[in-house]
Amino acid sequence: MVAFGFLDWLWIILYLLIMVGAGVLFYRLGRRSESDFFLAGRGLPWWLPAASVYATHTATDTPMWVSGVIYRHGLAGLWYSFFAAWCAISAFVSTRIFRRSLAYTQAEWNTVRFSGLGAELLRGWMSGWQVFMSMFILGWVGIAMGKVCQYVFGWPTWIGLVVFSSVCAVYVMAAGYWGVIMADFLQGVVAFAVILLVSIWGVVAAGGPSAIVSRLQQMGEGWRLSPFAFSGWFTGDFPIAWFVTMLFIALLGGFGMGTSIDWYVEAQRIQSARTVRDASYSIWWGTALVLMRNSIWAVAILGFYVLYPRIPDTAQYEMAWFRIGFEYLPAGMLGFFFAGIIAIHISTISAVLNLGAMYFTRDLYLHYWKQTASERELVWVGRIATLVLLIGSFFYGLMMEEITSWLIFALWIMAAGIWLPNILQVVWWRFNAWGYLSSWIANLGLSWLVVWVLPSFGLLPELPDYQQFWVLMVLGAAIYLPITFLTKPDDMDHLVRYYVMSRPIGWWGPVRREAERRGLLLRPEPT
Amino acid sequence: MAWIRRRWTPAAADEWTKEDWYTILISPIAYILLMVGVALSLLLLPAGFLILGLGVLATLLMHWIIDPKLKVISGEYEKKQRDYLEELERAARWKETDRG
Repeated sequence: MVAFGFLDWLWIILYLLIMVGAGVLFYRLGRRSESDFFLAGRGLPWWLPAASVYATHTATDTPMWVSGVIYRHGLAGLWYSFFAAWCAISAFVSTRIFRRSLAYTQAEWNTVRFSGLGAELLRGWMSGWQVFMSMFILGWVGIAMGKVCQYVFGWPTWIGLVVFSSVCAVYVMAAGYWGVIMADFLQGVVAFAVILLVSIWGVVAAGGPSAIVSRLQQMGEGWRLSPFAFSGWFTGDFPIAWFVTMLFIALLGGFGMGTSIDWYVEAQRIQSARTVRDASYSIWWGTALVLMRNSIWAVAILGFYVLYPRIPDTAQYEMAWFRIGFEYLPAGMLGFFFAGIIAIHISTISAVLNLGAMYFTRDLYLHYWKQTASERELVWVGRIATLVLLIGSFFYGLMMEEITSWLIFALWIMAAGIWLPNILQVVWWRFNAWGYLSSWIANLGLSWLVVWVLPSFGLLPELPDYQQFWVLMVLGAAIYLPITFLTKPDDMDHLVRYYVMSRPIGWWGPVRREAERRGLLLRPEPT
Repeated sequence: MAWIRRRWTPAAADEWTKEDWYTILISPIAYILLMVGVALSLLLLPAGFLILGLGVLATLLMHWIIDPKLKVISGEYEKKQRDYLEELERAARWKETDRG
């Protein structure tokens, strides 16, 4: 437990009041329309969604995860966080295409890109999946806060889970995305300041940067200073084959939509930007900040390693960054540090609450239930959905210990076998709704077989995760490619409309020629 | 033909051109240089400052290449956005459209 003084509590209370105040302040803007409640009226300059991208991807469990991989692998552990770099290409490819589609959600995009029954099935499936995933992520992040509060105050985990998510829900229900984005900006600034302050404190506590370097070399562990300390081509816990697979997944994934689980949150930020250019820069700069933040954390964790080397228990060294803050900051600053942790926590909670509510309202309620709903009604449905997600997340959070392995598996299947279809849907005109739908279904079965069933019967060796990725990609393609060719292409009128609106990259020749034949595209003059 | 085109018409900007591909190539390199550069610079390693400097240069170059094109794409697209939004709403409220 950590002892807080008057000044510490003052920091925390002031911070919570400002957060809730943001909701009250933007209440009038949020209630104007569905577009305001979920996309801030599509009018934000790039730096606001960029701050939100950064703040949202700085969750309570993020420092634990970064601490774990850096403590284990040294600076090479930075590559475990490099999956965020899908935004490098996405910012200038899929972000541009998605922003031009104007779809509120990825589920809605399915009906803009594909046509007919297959598209509707996809939209229904994806919106249901995203509502579920939002509740799961809220529980996951919420219980991490519960654990931090248990470490700091000795509270039972449910108190940290319920209290801070509930405070956050107040301004999300009041002001919707307006509240989320404005609070995210503030939270982003506070979180970055706290990360910088605590990390510098950790480095100083370890004797400064030069002392960390020389101490690691004296310990015979100078390899921890190299981001390229590979363990071999295919052997050890950091092989080059893993590194190449990671770069392949992360970077080329930027040509697609949904190749990273973070896409669904970013998609909302993309649509809230006022122009295509603002959308591109918001995604690029938000992620650049995330990657540089990880580097700041990494150096502090190296300092922690010098102070406490060779801790065998993962659960202990994953708390490294929190321990630096609570053990080394002076009295009066602990409250500021905890306010930073609250900022880190509720920026993620608020974003996911609003995102899940948007999928429910836009895709399930409006599209499938009540197509005549007024703007006022949709805002209220959004608020009620936010409340339901909040309450659902408490149950998920409290069950998390038992279901974590199942849900990590669910996340894995979401990423591996559908990685390529997520790109094909963007770059290839002939890939249709049935091909995409079958890739999801095939992946569900194949991942069970490859990851669990076949290895348990000895029919397949237990493969490292990067090899599972390649196997699932090839096996899945053997199913969805024939289905794509055996079913009809999407309706040409629909494809032409989508092409003219979104101007996708890749193999769209027949659709482009049809659009030109109809006189819908201007021929660019030679340069 | 210039190595990098800096003046665009709306029709030309809507096409995927070599400027996009340069950006697609430079952007991940900039991310890698910035991430590695910040970590090594904070450890006061000389290589870190060099890598970070290259990362900043790569970022500036990327923006210099793509920004004129993005400005034109955005300007042209915003003119059509209202019509596209109306179409999107009609599709979302499909039952009302059928009745109407």
